[in-house]
Amino acid sequence: MEQLLSGYFVYSFAFLFVFIALATILHMQFSLTGIVNFGIVGFWAFGMYSCALLLLKLHIPFVPAVLLASVLTGIVSLLLGRIILNLDNQAVLVGTLAFATIIEYLVTTEKWLTNGVMGLGTINFPFDIGRMTLFVYFLIILAITVLLLLYVSRLRLSPFGRLLLSIKDNESLSQSLGKPTFRQKLVFFTFTSAVIGLFGALTAPLYNCIFPRMIGPGVTFSIWIALMLGGRKRLFGGLIGVLATIGLFEFLIETVVPIPAEYAEMVPNFKFAAYGLTLMLVLMFRPLGILGEEGRGTKYGE
Amino acid sequence: MGNKKLHLKNVIKRFGGRKVVDVKDLTFGTCGIEGLIGPNGAGKTTLINLITRKINMDSGQVIFYPGSEAIDISKKSLDEIARLGLVRTNQVIQDFESLSIRDSLLLSLATSKYEKFYDVFKEGKLREGTKQEIEKYLDFFHFADPDGHALSAGEKKLLDLVRCLLLKPKFLLMDEPTTGLPQDQIEKVIAIMRKKTAEEGMSIVIVEHDLDLIWGVSENVHFMAEGEILIQGPPEEIRKNKTVINKYMGESYAQGR
Repeated sequence: MEQLLSGYFVYSFAFLFVFIALATILHMQFSLTGIVNFGIVGFWAFGMYSCALLLLKLHIPFVPAVLLASVLTGIVSLLLGRIILNLDNQAVLVGTLAFATIIEYLVTTEKWLTNGVMGLGTINFPFDIGRMTLFVYFLIILAITVLLLLYVSRLRLSPFGRLLLSIKDNESLSQSLGKPTFRQKLVFFTFTSAVIGLFGALTAPLYNCIFPRMIGPGVTFSIWIALMLGGRKRLFGGLIGVLATIGLFEFLIETVVPIPAEYAEMVPNFKFAAYGLTLMLVLMFRPLGILGEEGRGTKYGE
Repeated sequence: MGNKKLHLKNVIKRFGGRKVVDVKDLTFGTCGIEGLIGPNGAGKTTLINLITRKINMDSGQVIFYPGSEAIDISKKSLDEIARLGLVRTNQVIQDFESLSIRDSLLLSLATSKYEKFYDVFKEGKLREGTKQEIEKYLDFFHFADPDGHALSAGEKKLLDLVRCLLLKPKFLLMDEPTTGLPQDQIEKVIAIMRKKTAEEGMSIVIVEHDLDLIWGVSENVHFMAEGEILIQGPPEEIRKNKTVINKYMGESYAQGR
């Protein structure tokens, strides 16, 4: 039992829940508010690297470092949002993508700070309780992810959630009803991006040593495809989608299915081809994903 | 009698060199319900868009008197103006596709103290506090399914109006509110306009092509053509005015009356 709890499966599930959380945050930003965040990996990486730097360079204890990393991500996204959020969707897409690219390049080139491609490490777990360390850490990530899902389920039934939907559907109509849409969008973008930063910070000890190649655009695309496949309008769309894509490919196929050594190299390439194909099939035959359309209205107390 | 005034000074808007609105001096709100009429392309909707700052004016000033004080709204944003109590309904149908009729009305009634991202437990309180008001309007206008989406063009048009009324505006600009509505609903809209102006002192400016409606409800009519306000006066005078007949109504309409 202890063998199992310290093993690769727990490690995999910890990652899966991080990605489930990211896909759920994307659901909040894109499907509830209409913010096309194509740079989700940038906020995640910013949280991850700032947490690592706070731990390793300034020797701040783990919990304050994680919280500070999250706050820093929030501040950066506030500044970014201030510039791009009142532009149209395409501009927001390009703006967030550019942000993620800038972060990736800065991490690669600023060797004095981040060690560049050599990687930054080692980032230890905040506690060491022997073989149970990883399992307890996994439970922490699981708990925060569940909390996040609970928040989203309430948000969708709250006046603020309704305001977000109105902004997504018809921003100028919402404004003409007296809603300060830009400010509310900015507040929500900052908050949700800070949560992405929080999960980035929590991921750092899982990787142990972090490299620029981990924060390429592939992460963003995987999360988007997961959400589109699972059902972008549904609370559990991110969860289902991540299990069906990242869960299936990264972990199930790579660990359970015996692949001959000569083909092992092809798996990562095949993965992205399969992701692309999946996205095309979903958009053609089931545009709202596996879970499909939500019910009518925000059913409250029924 | 409404006492909320709206004063426009030298408001000019050009679209690519063509002057679409050029209003030198115009006061709305001296009477309860006022009509704004004119041929297509006269600039009526553009004028409303300029007042509510849905689009920016090239030059000019709009002053709003919600109470005793004067507020220059020419630099304020669409949502600030709405919060001051100057609200408009839309000519082209506008709706939120994700929101049911009831959700739409709740959105309208939710003030900023309900809309906090960190407090997601306010829904019950909002529903409790607004139940009566929402039911009142739902009963009055008879929507087919208040918990579903507004399906027909007429329902969407009515929903647009009810959303605005729930904001309790001091000044309401109505851009062709009865287009596409059946006669019984038009009568209800007129009844509610009269009620709001008489009982709550709301000022209404209504843009319409249904001239019988204009003559019936408005106490004062402004005639607009080619971006300018040409003639103002009580409906009896406007309908006999030579310029209005020539530019808008046509001889046959005027003689048929």
